[in-house]
This record gives sequence, C-alpha cells and structure tokens, in this order.
Amino acid sequence: MAELKLEEYENDFWKDVDNRKTWDQIIPGELRDTKPVTITTDVIAQFARLIGDDNPLYHDEAFAKKTPYGGIIAPPSLHIVLMFACTDINDWMRSPGTINCGQSWYYNIPARPGDTITMRGTALDKFIKKERLFAVHENAFTNQLGQVICTGRGWTIRPV
Amino acid sequence: MCAQAEFDKIDAGLEITGRPFTVSRETIADFALGSLDFNPLHFDDNYMDESFGKTQFKGVIMHGMQNFAVITRTLTDWLLPRGGYHRRLETRWLTPVYLGDTITVAATVQRKLETDGSRWVVFDIDVTNQDGVSVARGEAMAEFADVFPGAAH
Repeated sequence: MAELKLEEYENDFWKDVDNRKTWDQIIPGELRDTKPVTITTDVIAQFARLIGDDNPLYHDEAFAKKTPYGGIIAPPSLHIVLMFACTDINDWMRSPGTINCGQSWYYNIPARPGDTITMRGTALDKFIKKERLFAVHENAFTNQLGQVICTGRGWTIRPV
Repeated sequence: MCAQAEFDKIDAGLEITGRPFTVSRETIADFALGSLDFNPLHFDDNYMDESFGKTQFKGVIMHGMQNFAVITRTLTDWLLPRGGYHRRLETRWLTPVYLGDTITVAATVQRKLETDGSRWVVFDIDVTNQDGVSVARGEAMAEFADVFPGAAH
C-alpha cells in the first residue's frame, strides 16, 4: 500500500477544477472514490507538528511507551488529513470556496504507525438554506484489520 | 492509574484553558501541508475580495479544522496524565478567524455520567478570539475506562 507522503499531493486546487462534482451533481448516498494510505512514524510526527500539536505522544517513542497507548499513536485529529489523503484531485471536497461550517467526530481506537487506513465517504444529504447550498458528508476510517479508527460528519457550503 | 479514582476527582464546572494559538501565514501554510487542504480561502487575498454568495470575508481565513486541532491538543494534554481518552468532538464555526487573531480554547465540564461499561465526561467547548468573541463552540466527550480502547496490534 502507498505510504502517505504529504509533499506528493497537488497543492493547486484550481487544477482539474472542472472535473469535480458541483452541488447539483452530488448524489447523497453515492460513495466517493477513495484509496487506502499507509501511515508512518515520520508522517505522524510531521502531521502533528504542522497542525500545532506538540504532545510527545506523537513523536517520542520512549515517552509514548510509558503511556497506556504503549507506543506512538497518531493524533485523533488525523482524520483532518486522511480525508484529503484518501481522495484524489477530482474529489469535490477540493472545490475552491468550499466553506466548512462544522464537524462532529467519534474516535474509536487510535491509528498507529504502519496502519493502512481505508476511507468510506458519502454525502448523506444536501439542502438549501438562506440561499446557500449545503452538503452533509459522512466518512468512516478503518485500519487493515477492519477496525474502526473514527467516524465523522461534516457540513459544508458548496461554491456556486 | 485507577480510572474510577481519576474520574471521581473531576467536578462539573471545572474549566480547562488551552494554550493560546496565534494565526499567521506560516501557521496557515503549515496547516495546509499537514491537512492537504489547499483551498484558496486560506491563501489568496484577491480571491477573498470576491463574493461567496451570501458570505463575505475580509481577508484570508484560518482553516476551520485548525480549531479542531487546537481543541484536541487542549483535551489530550489534559486527559493523558489523568488516564482519560478523548472520544468525541463536535463543533460549529461561528465566525471566521483572520491573520493575527489569537484563539484560546476553554473546555468546561458540563456533566459526568457512568454507563454500564464505563465513565464519561462531557465538556462544553468554547473557542474565543482576542476580543472575547466565540469563533467556535461545541461539545467533547472523554472516557475514563478500566480497559484501554484500542490496544497495540
């Protein structure tokens, strides 16, 4: 499975913008195209540093060993990057102007170095409110043993 | 560490305050790479002059999920030495966070509950900027379990 390397992803969200589903084209219930990624000790430490989380649990094996986790884990907030890491340039969450309104996440078990994580993602619903186009999306991430890492729901305003 | 003893020490109303987080172009660039979220809302000053339907901004904005990361840091830093596990976070963004803003997380114990199999603490979450305006609000849930959820495999 492909190791997650942040530098390998396209950082221009205007590229291939016309390939992405608009609000009109999003079908609630339809699965988004995803691919599994394998997370390493390096990418866990890098992710934690870049999002501003300096807890040694995410980069110091000696420290982490003494915690109930028994070793380095990924921050619970890893789903922030997994959503983009497991989807490609054509995924509609990359549409410029997508506005995040709120999210809710349940954390089941931690992700660990070496885990290969699979995403299942759908839009659950779409609606119009105050002339804004909303989508509700649900994602679940599981590891190579089929165990649920976390599940979450988000609300975004889609660009017109 | 005894989960019951640690759970018993926590009282409703207890407030945990996180370390302040100040937003700059550097923190936004870091978060963008960390999250792979390169939406121009966070970079492009000219783009932000445009109209977004009914929504109007006054400059580039912090990633909404940066709130999530700072809230998670606040909870985990407090829970880890007490043997508690961060289990859930729900937030709504109320107002955009701009360059130069400093946000601070307050997590207040709303209630404690014992279920058939475990012990739970529910927190009210309020993230405020330097003017005391709430930029995000929500709820979090921590577990004080006898058995660690998700042993190493």
